[in-house]
Amino acid sequence: MGTRSFLWNFAKKYFTFGLIGLTISDRYASIVPVRGLSMAPTFNSHGSTSMGSLTDNYVLVEKWCLEKYKFSPGDVVVFCSPSDHRKSIVKRITALPGDWINMPYSSDALKIPEGHCWVEGDNSASSVDSRSFGPIPLGLVRGRVTHIVWPPQAFGKVERKTPQGRLSL
Amino acid sequence: MEFCYEVFTFGLIGLTISDRYASVVHVQGLSMFPSFNPYGSTSMASFTDDYVLVEKWCLEKYKFSHGDIVVFCSPSDHKKKYIKRITALAGDWISTPYSYDSFKIPDGHCWVVGDNSASSVDSRSFGPIPLGLIRGKVTHTVWPPQRFGGAV
Repeated sequence: MGTRSFLWNFAKKYFTFGLIGLTISDRYASIVPVRGLSMAPTFNSHGSTSMGSLTDNYVLVEKWCLEKYKFSPGDVVVFCSPSDHRKSIVKRITALPGDWINMPYSSDALKIPEGHCWVEGDNSASSVDSRSFGPIPLGLVRGRVTHIVWPPQAFGKVERKTPQGRLSL
Repeated sequence: MEFCYEVFTFGLIGLTISDRYASVVHVQGLSMFPSFNPYGSTSMASFTDDYVLVEKWCLEKYKFSHGDIVVFCSPSDHKKKYIKRITALAGDWISTPYSYDSFKIPDGHCWVVGDNSASSVDSRSFGPIPLGLIRGKVTHTVWPPQRFGGAV
């Protein structure tokens, strides 16, 4: 009788902590792996293979920013790919609504429409980003990356880096 | 103490269900007339507006069909949510209104239109929307009581 109520209490606590963890992960912060080299050297500066997921960077993604959607240029964000909604992509915001951006390989400039932003990978040579799929609606953003939490030698804050020479003033 | 704990746990369960599985949403405006708000909708009379059940299981696999009514973030103002019907999915061809052109819905996008075309800001204005903007699918009307049920 005593064991049953002990087990029941234990199950209840376990369930509650699980729920708290789930809510925190959905609404406030979670940890996600970064795959690929499009953000080198900020992430995965030691390379990234499909097998070596233990050496990939794991980052802390905060979701408070989604309340007010206040982003700054230079923020690294996680968003749903506009061409495949099941994929999440990690890139850096280089321009916000109203900014003008220089189009690559041409002398045109593009104005970022309302409610959209321009995202690029730090490793431009190896990154599929807004230069391919255009500006993305801010509604696709799922969180902002604040820290690298794994591996231990890469632990630290992810700085906001304003890009050079992309904005057309 | 025990009571606070129970309240907290039930609150958390409710929050998790609302975030991940289903929630009730207030429909404003007449862009989906007569499917929603067939008695009209004013900013004052929000208690006569339709409230609908929005399910979020569909977001796991993002399997949407033609005719689904979905809630999504506006592509031009991420703080606003719209409710419209999906009329075309990725790969479908859509003919643009007022011209003879047609274009293909890109991968990962869909075309949304309000049932009340005369009074609806939808894909005819802002183009196809990425499926990643969708926040849930409407399944039932839950308020007012005389319109309860009616699987959409």
